[in-house]
This record gives sequence, structure tokens and C-alpha cells, in this order.
Amino acid sequence: MSKVRKYSFYSLLIFYSILTIVPFLWSLSTSFKPSDEVYQSNLIPDQPTMKAYATVFGKIQPNFQTLFANSLFIACGVVVLHLIFAALAGYAFARLRFPGRDVLFFVVLGCMMIPDQLRLVPMYQLLVKMGLINTGPSNYLAIFLIKAISAADVFLMRQYFLTMPKEMEDAAKIDGAGPFQLFTRVMLPNAAPVLATVAILTFQGTWNDLFWPSIVLQSPSHWTLPFGILQFKGQFSTDWPPIMALVVLSTVPILALYTFGQRYIINVQLASSAKG
Amino acid sequence: MTSTSHRTSRLGRKRSESLVAYGFISIPMALFLFLSVGIFIYAVYISTFDWGIMGPTKNIGLDNYRKAFSDPIFLKAIRNSVKYALLVVPIQSAIGLYLALLVNSKIKGSKFFRSAFYFPSIASSAAITTLFIFLMAPDGVFNGVLRFFGVDTANLFNQGAWLSDSRTALYSIIGLNAWTTSGTMMLFYLANLQTVDSQFAEAAVMDGATRRQVFWYITMPLLKPAHLFVVATGMIGALQLYDQAILAGGADGSPDYSLMTVVLYIYNACFRKFEFGYASAIGVILFVIIFSLTVLQKSLFGSAAWKGDN
Repeated sequence: MSKVRKYSFYSLLIFYSILTIVPFLWSLSTSFKPSDEVYQSNLIPDQPTMKAYATVFGKIQPNFQTLFANSLFIACGVVVLHLIFAALAGYAFARLRFPGRDVLFFVVLGCMMIPDQLRLVPMYQLLVKMGLINTGPSNYLAIFLIKAISAADVFLMRQYFLTMPKEMEDAAKIDGAGPFQLFTRVMLPNAAPVLATVAILTFQGTWNDLFWPSIVLQSPSHWTLPFGILQFKGQFSTDWPPIMALVVLSTVPILALYTFGQRYIINVQLASSAKG
Repeated sequence: MTSTSHRTSRLGRKRSESLVAYGFISIPMALFLFLSVGIFIYAVYISTFDWGIMGPTKNIGLDNYRKAFSDPIFLKAIRNSVKYALLVVPIQSAIGLYLALLVNSKIKGSKFFRSAFYFPSIASSAAITTLFIFLMAPDGVFNGVLRFFGVDTANLFNQGAWLSDSRTALYSIIGLNAWTTSGTMMLFYLANLQTVDSQFAEAAVMDGATRRQVFWYITMPLLKPAHLFVVATGMIGALQLYDQAILAGGADGSPDYSLMTVVLYIYNACFRKFEFGYASAIGVILFVIIFSLTVLQKSLFGSAAWKGDN
């Protein structure tokens, strides 16, 4: 590479990095600014203050702790459901022979094509009939039911189990293990990377979801972080620091997850592009 | 062991394998049949009714569908969604490809740049759109940068109010999502680039091909799987635009319905007008559009994903 090319190359890379990182630094900076500094162009606040954080941790209803707990509870619950169902179905479709397998797998693939927006009206009607659209704790069940299973995750698990070498099973089979023991003792322990992938992507998707929570969750004490941001943005239209504090606080966990789980996310992007 | 007993034990093992399999898939399949297949049929059923807040009154056949195509706001929503998809998909794909080519070269810090470029893709749309609204405000950072370069933002045609002027609101959201989604598109292109054999490009360079020729005649055709995937998933995602529209324009897609999208329209029909039959019909229309695109994608890709191992 010539020197000129090299410099222009790096300046492009740096320019785009600024474009992706600086807006987030700006939200961080604004969350520490007093109200009269909000529209000033200094990245480092002249008089940094924790007032915005005091507001979101204490004054707002529901406060940040509640929003965080709801987001965490819903995301973890959905992760557990997806892991269990995707592992069970993925293993059966990949490794077991049974009448009707191909037809049933075709049904699973068909489910991937049904967009959430089509499910909105019938799902809502159904949840009303089941009495799950309410302000009590059973309202959480509505979210868990809607998100109980993901066809894409079943597909991902199946693809992974298909690639595992047959020899691993054969050795256990000779020792007299049945299909259930094969699943728990041989397949699951070796599926850790894909289980991590499913868990991370499900967590990220559920944590970030605005659509279903904004439709289903009835009581402010059930709101998740994205739903809280939507609501408070309306209430605090001119008071940016607390909103920016919420933006920062809701992004940090997902950033941490991404940093620690980066290789699994790259993996799944590969896997899901292969399934195209 | 006699051959008969051997056969029985094999048959027995086969039967027990089937039983275990049905045990494994029973709950997942029940959920799919209930939450996807059943719900799908129920959606089509509801869409043929005059179904208000008191429940269904009468079956009106396809009237809800006819009503949709004579409602100017629905037609506006379709136009907005299609315009958005047709603009955002090429932009985010092109940026994604460009970024992928940049970080795929053997350079120092390519890992850092890859993470930095993917960063906007991981945050929630609620957080990122709220941040965007703040940055794009008339007194915000974006106008500040424009002023720095000598643009008189206060006297621009929209007074620098990018999101509250109906002429620029949708384009601003296009800019926002091109910025957030191109990181994901970069990853898809990177995945494809890693499978591309560099010997074709090397051979072409030996034959005297220029950098530009190598890109257009070698690299681009070899990336065909990624192009198709990125465009198809991009279109499907773009047609489902909702979060950014409701955050920036409220439930009405303000100003002047410039941010009214098909999904936001469904939301309004359902939760503000309580026209459940009508809302369901719009959902079915959206499904038909997305389904056609998916079938198109599958037929372009071949059907490798549909085959089993044996």
C-alpha cells in the first residue's frame, strides 16, 4: 500500500468510527450535564452533575430499578424458554428418525414466515379472552406466551446438531445409552457454543423489543426499559439529561453482553446467513 | 441370539426412538401450532368480520380489504413504507459492503473497527431513536455541525427542524436506520467474504486487471449470496418499520402522516379505533407482501436449507 492510500484508508476508518461512537458519547455527556448546558457543543460538561441519575433512580415512576428488573426478568424468562424448546426440537429434527418428521419440520420453517404484525390482532384477542391483559402479575404471562418459542432458534439448533459427528453418538450407543441419555450426556454438553448464541441473541432481541411490551404491558410497574423510554420521552420532552441517562443505562448491559459474547454473535451471523 | 429376537429388539429400539422424538417435539410443536399456525388462521378469520370493541357483529367478506385500498391514509402508509424500504435497503447494503471490504483488509486494528462499526446495531431502537431525536433537534448537534461548515440552518427550507418537517422526517429516519443497520449488513458481507477464495482476484491482478476491474468483475459476482440475503432480509425488516416511526412521530406518524407506516397504521386501527377486523386485514396484506418477498428470496437461493441430512 502506498503512503497516500494508507492515510486515506485510515482516515476513512476513523471517520466512520467517529460517526458510530460519538453519538453515544454525546448521550453519556448529556446525561451528566445540567439543563442549561444541554445544547452547548462541549463534550465534557463544564459543571458535571449526577442530577439526571438521581431523577431516574428516584423521582420517576416507575423508576429505573423497576424498568431494569422488568426487562431482566422478561429477557431471562424468554431465554430459558427458547433454550429448552429449541434444544429439544432441534435435536429431534436433526438426530432422531420418526414418522412425519419432514412434514413437521416444514411447518416449523413456515412459522418463520409469519410476521409479528400479523399476529398482533388475533394474539391480542386471545390474550384478552384468557384474561392476561390486566394490571396484575399474570400480565407477564402474556409476554412469555407470545415469545415462548422461536422457529429461527429451532432451525439454528437443528443445523448445529446436524454438523456434530456421528461417532460421538456411536460410542455412547455401544455403551447402551438410549436417545434420551444421548441427548443429555452427549449432545447437550457439546452444544454449548450454539446454546450461548441462542441465549445472547434472544436476550438482546427481548431486551430491546418495544413492539410487544408497548401493546401488552398494562401497568407502569410492568414497563420494560424501551417502553419506559418511549413513555418518558413524551413526559420530559424538554428535559434531556434524565432521558439520556435512561438511554445510557439501557445500553450498558447489552454492550457488556456483546463485549463478552462477541464471538458467539459473529458465529450466529455466519450460521444465519448460511440458512438464507 | 436368534435372528427373530434381534429383529424385534431393533424394531423396539426404532419405536422407542420415535416415542422419545415425539416426547421432545410435543410441546414445541403444540406451541407452533397454537401460537403461529392457529393464530394465522384466526387472523384471516377475524379479517372477514366487522369486529369492534364489543366483538364480531357480522361477516363482511372482503369489505375490510376493499376499505383499506380506498383509505388515503392507508395508501399514504403503503407509499411511505415502500419508499422507505426502496431507499434504506440499497443505502444500508452499500455501506455494509463498503465497511466489510474496509475491515476485511489486513490492517492494524481491524477488530476494533469491526466492533465500532457494529456498535449502533446492538442498542435498542428506543434508545437509539431517542438519541437521534435529540441530536437532530433544531438546536442539536447535527445542526451545530452544519453551522460549523457555514450552513445557515435557521434559514434552511425547514429551519433545521429535520424531524418535525414533513418534507424531511422520513428521509431523516432513513438516515438513522441506514446508520444503525449497516453494521449488521457488514457482518453478513464479512461472512461471505471469508468464504471467497482470493486466488481469483490474484490471478486477475497477474493478468493486469485494475483494482476497479477486480472489484466489479470478480469480487461483486462472488458475493452474490450475501447480496441476495442482505437485500431480502433488509426489505422484510424495512417493511415492518414501527419503533422509529412511533418514537419520532407519535401514533399519528406526525408531521402530516409523513411517518405513518403500515405497521403503525395497524396499531392505530387496533388500539385507537378498535377496528379489529380491519386491523387484521391490514396485517394479512402485510403478510402477503412479505411472504412474496421471502418466496422470491428462496427461489433465488435454491432450497439447500429445506433438505435434511439423509
